[in-house]
Amino acid sequence: MKVLLIGHPNVGKSVFFNRLTGANVTESNYPGTTVDFTKGYMNIGGEDAELIDVPGTFSLDPKDKAEEVAVAMLHENKDVRVICVIDASKIERGVYLALEILEEGYPMVIALNMWDAAVDKNIRIDINNLQRILGVPVVPTVAISGEGIKELISRLKEAKPVEIDDIIKNAGGLT
Amino acid sequence: MKLTIDQRWDLIDKIAKQTVTFGEYRHTLKDAIGELTIKPFTGIPIAIAVMYAFWSIFGSFAGFFTDGFFVRLFDAYWLPWLQEVFPGQGGWLYAIMVDAGGIEGGEFVLSDNCLESFGVLTSGLFVAIGVVLPAIVIFYLMLALLEDIGYMPRLAVLIDTMLHKIGLHGYAIVPTILSLGCNVPGVTATRILETKKQRFIMMTLLAIFIPCGAQIGIMQDVIPGLMGWILLYLIIGYFIFGYILNKIVPGKAPEFLIDVPPYRRPMLSNIGKKVWGRIAGFFKVAIPFVLLGAAIVGVLYQLGVIRFLGDALAPVFVGWFGVPKETAGPLIAAFLRKDLAVAQLSVIEMTEYQMITAVVLVSIYFPCVATFAMMLKEGWKELLGAMAVLTVVVFAYGGLIHLIGILLGVA
Repeated sequence: MKVLLIGHPNVGKSVFFNRLTGANVTESNYPGTTVDFTKGYMNIGGEDAELIDVPGTFSLDPKDKAEEVAVAMLHENKDVRVICVIDASKIERGVYLALEILEEGYPMVIALNMWDAAVDKNIRIDINNLQRILGVPVVPTVAISGEGIKELISRLKEAKPVEIDDIIKNAGGLT
Repeated sequence: MKLTIDQRWDLIDKIAKQTVTFGEYRHTLKDAIGELTIKPFTGIPIAIAVMYAFWSIFGSFAGFFTDGFFVRLFDAYWLPWLQEVFPGQGGWLYAIMVDAGGIEGGEFVLSDNCLESFGVLTSGLFVAIGVVLPAIVIFYLMLALLEDIGYMPRLAVLIDTMLHKIGLHGYAIVPTILSLGCNVPGVTATRILETKKQRFIMMTLLAIFIPCGAQIGIMQDVIPGLMGWILLYLIIGYFIFGYILNKIVPGKAPEFLIDVPPYRRPMLSNIGKKVWGRIAGFFKVAIPFVLLGAAIVGVLYQLGVIRFLGDALAPVFVGWFGVPKETAGPLIAAFLRKDLAVAQLSVIEMTEYQMITAVVLVSIYFPCVATFAMMLKEGWKELLGAMAVLTVVVFAYGGLIHLIGILLGVA
């Protein structure tokens, strides 16, 4: 299995990557820390899986060279499952990127990362409803402490491509 | 099926309305500090204080270990011991590995410190471990703190206006600061800039004007009194040539939008990992290059190549730049390691102003081989362009510094 971590800059992708593969890619608190991709290996239920960490990107329409790397890795690996990492406090624009990737037919799980910070800010997210509408697993996580990572990985097998029409229907239609 | 951008936002609106509720948000102390450090009125003084603290901690930590410990260890024990036990005193291998010595009154005399000896095992090891290692340990420790707290994006916002004058924007501070540790990650970090023009300007300026941590560390030790002038010349050059490049390089220099992350408490384990990773890299890559550089320069001295080059290029060195022709040796070493080059310069006899000029030349004349390789990886066209700019800069700026010296009556 091949798994790709994708998401906005500075949402914690590299923290996930290091935790899952035991690798040592640089983690910092500023957007643009990762400017190249890194591959690593992890074990999911006895099976070896390749995990790829890429630079953060706001959309699939790259604005700089680092974002180009991210989008190229997605497009070069048609057979990947995507872990879309979203800042739980900024869910709308995270979902924008997730939708773009889902539109291209990639199977996905969503990590709502920095869940603790969202709770501190009194932002409440109805996880079950979000899962129902999007049709993909959504897992709240705190990557630096490891919270939710096990569940995230165990639900990777539930990742499957979804029809955008279904999402629109579940959300109650477009205006 | 693909949605249009409007449809996508429409859909997101619907989804968010059904799943997200925003409770009341109270301002915290962290937010207050966050704002104080980003509003220019309070932010700029704080930024200056942070930089000053960085600088003084860097200097005192590195100085404490180098002067208080390594200088004694190397000069009082290591050097005399090696001079004693290494066979073939006065021979070429001895000169390259231990001590090239000097001729006084027609007789061969040994050096009395690890900078003058020029040997691989003496000067080479002393520069790498005694001087540069403490400097980069403290540099990376403080850099990791600034990175993990979340200060860098704030600095980027504060310096934005200034960097627009040279075709860049505030976020160019990230490659610039990373380059102060080592130019190699600085070059890769230029990828966060949006246009080719910006990346080219940034890469060129980094390679020419930003001294790496190793070089700053050695300057701090061997020419502390002159370092202010050297850095001033480099900073002024960074802005002058950035300004010119912005005018002549075609392309766009867009505004930048940035998410300023909240301050976060740095995790000790992550700081430790980062600092350790960078030091391990230093041991694996930098130390062999320092030793290799010392060996190559040693061999070239023995073969008389450096004397020949110095004589051949004397009109350029003495006439144009106003530095002694012996600068040729360190300039060759500078291709491998700038720290070694500065160490070698420091023992050549010259006036203070010549020293300032020579060290500035060593900094700007050519990126070290590791940086060169990384620039090549980012694109050979950019590399060629940067080299062309560099050639012009070395002669124009080197000449200008000489001229300033003449006008001031010090050169």
